Amino acid sequence: MISRQSLIVAKWEFLRFFKWKQQLISYVIMLVIMGVIFTWQFLVDESRDEYRIAVPGHFTIENTAQFQFQRPSVSVDEQLKQLMTSETWHAVVTEEESGIVVHTAAGKKWQQLLEQALEQYFRQQYGLAQGLTPAQLLRLSEPVSIEMRFLDEDYKGDDRPEKAIALAVLFMLLIGLTTAFGQLLMSITGEKQQRVTEQLYAIVTPQQWIDGKVLGHSLSAMKAMFTTSLVMFVGILVAVLFLSDKPLPWHLINWGVIAWLVPFALLGILLCACFMAAIAASIDDPNTSGKGAVMMITWLPLLFTYLVIDSPTGWGMTVLSWLPITSFAAMPVRLAMVELAWWQPVLSLLLLVAMVYWMRRVAGRIFLRGMQMYGKEPSWADIMRWAMSRKIE
Amino acid sequence: MHITVTEIEKSYATVNAVRGVSFTINTGEIFALLGPNGAGKSSIIRMLVGMTRPDRGTIAITHQQAHYDHVPRRYLGYLPEDRGLYPDKSVEKNLLYLAQLHGLSKAQAQLEMNHWLEIFDLTERRKEDLKQLSKGNQQKVQLIAAVIHKPALVILDEPFSGLDPINQEKVVEFLKTLRTKGMTVILSAHQMAMVEKLADRMLLMAKGQMVLAGTLLDIKQQAQPKPVVVIETQQAVTAAELAILLPDYTVSMQSEHRFSMTLPSTAMLSTCLQTLLREFTVQSVSMQNPDLHQLYLTAMSAHQQEEIA
Repeated sequence: MISRQSLIVAKWEFLRFFKWKQQLISYVIMLVIMGVIFTWQFLVDESRDEYRIAVPGHFTIENTAQFQFQRPSVSVDEQLKQLMTSETWHAVVTEEESGIVVHTAAGKKWQQLLEQALEQYFRQQYGLAQGLTPAQLLRLSEPVSIEMRFLDEDYKGDDRPEKAIALAVLFMLLIGLTTAFGQLLMSITGEKQQRVTEQLYAIVTPQQWIDGKVLGHSLSAMKAMFTTSLVMFVGILVAVLFLSDKPLPWHLINWGVIAWLVPFALLGILLCACFMAAIAASIDDPNTSGKGAVMMITWLPLLFTYLVIDSPTGWGMTVLSWLPITSFAAMPVRLAMVELAWWQPVLSLLLLVAMVYWMRRVAGRIFLRGMQMYGKEPSWADIMRWAMSRKIE
Repeated sequence: MHITVTEIEKSYATVNAVRGVSFTINTGEIFALLGPNGAGKSSIIRMLVGMTRPDRGTIAITHQQAHYDHVPRRYLGYLPEDRGLYPDKSVEKNLLYLAQLHGLSKAQAQLEMNHWLEIFDLTERRKEDLKQLSKGNQQKVQLIAAVIHKPALVILDEPFSGLDPINQEKVVEFLKTLRTKGMTVILSAHQMAMVEKLADRMLLMAKGQMVLAGTLLDIKQQAQPKPVVVIETQQAVTAAELAILLPDYTVSMQSEHRFSMTLPSTAMLSTCLQTLLREFTVQSVSMQNPDLHQLYLTAMSAHQQEEIA
């Protein structure tokens, strides 16, 4: 189905924007930046340190992992002197008419935790003063448990890890589409301006040419998606392995859902690349044409899907997951969050394949006709007429 | 490859680019399309390539017993008027890419590329990006791209433009080589001296119409140019003096002692000389053989007058 010429064009286009040295350097920089952020967070984390707090003698507050509450025998003035001159105390707590006062050398993040500990202690004290039993006090301090139960058995729930995967896919699609947008616009209009198009036309058919372009830049977009995912995964892996003592949450990954996400995402990129190629082929001069912005329409399925992501069983998501122009973004999200019959994603995928096939033919037709209009940009009416015509060459 | 073009017409929005043009090209010929800008040469070339179709008339191409209405891509080598390759890629990468698109294997492409780079003295510069090359050298790379796959027909739109005289001569030699290899060549050009050396047959066009067609000899007969005589005098003469003396002749000064004169007919030469001899001592008189450039100008001027009439 795809000719040798198209594959040669695809390889050329893919390698044209593939500067592996620069790419490698950029990934190393990304990893270093992520490492620096994690390390910095680790270094400035004050919650791991211990703090000595001087409190009045009658306080019965208990020590925590972070705070050691001591009742010094020296006067408050002496305690404050010690606070300023040595490391005897990190904070001195006194009681005044206005309430509790915490004295420290300067404001720091851990003091918010101290405030919370003191607040809890005084709430307990007030409760005891009101005659509450320790059991009642404990009950009051516990958070209220609210559980959502859904009667629709197909709805998997909102807080499942699949939702995070679906969101990640939307993000990766955004990266892929942004890559394809930039490269296709530059490549097609650049070739027109560098006058390569007429030369190529004498060698390959418009359809072979556009197929190669679409394939090459779709591969570029997929490579960007893959490498970004990989870099993010490596970053998270490093953070989890070296900076936290938790095991890797492999069990949260639903491989079945991921197996569905991949074909939808890949076909989605192909579909959008075909559309972008068609529009780019109709642009005579990218500096003066307003058509380039139309290529960004391909981002709308992602936006629409994101807007209904919290209602995966609603009509909005259902419609989006069936429309072949939006299904590549919506069906994976729906699959992740709702239990669907097997034929639903299969049918949606087949419709998407048909849409990709039609769109690539449209792109070929628009390129052919656009080439025949010397120095003139086709109108939207022209483009629509060509899109609907059956003529290929 | 044999090409027969019959009464083709092509119009764009407001322009009749080609109006009833007919010609034939035989296998192994170099055929030149001549004419000023806007004559319709590139429109004809685009129809032959298949980029556009004639509104009326037919193009019949025969090659190896098969018939086509435009040149099939596999037999075509094309240098478009609006040329360009990938400026940020090396000479080698550009040529290999296009050769492989033409169907050559990488090894074949490499072999052919080396051969042509050698001929055009570009072997040393193969690794350089195209944008680093002079315009003339870029043009050579483009010419190589057009023939690297050994096509049966090579169409070159303005192959001499942008080249210095030395490189123009190289292109002439290159085109002669193509002819010896049995390729049919169609070229459009303004450089009459080059075309005169090369073309087996030619077609002169103006405003989309055929003005003259055939071999150089045919064109000379058809054009019937006015005789031009070159006269050298002992005394210095001025154009003003000659204008008074010979008001009915077109005179062109070449030096103080030498000028050329276009006569309405050869019969007028003796009358003209008698008039001159009354005032000047004539040292020499010679008839000038009209070259293609003059034939072209004569034909264009005649065509213009016909149009006005």
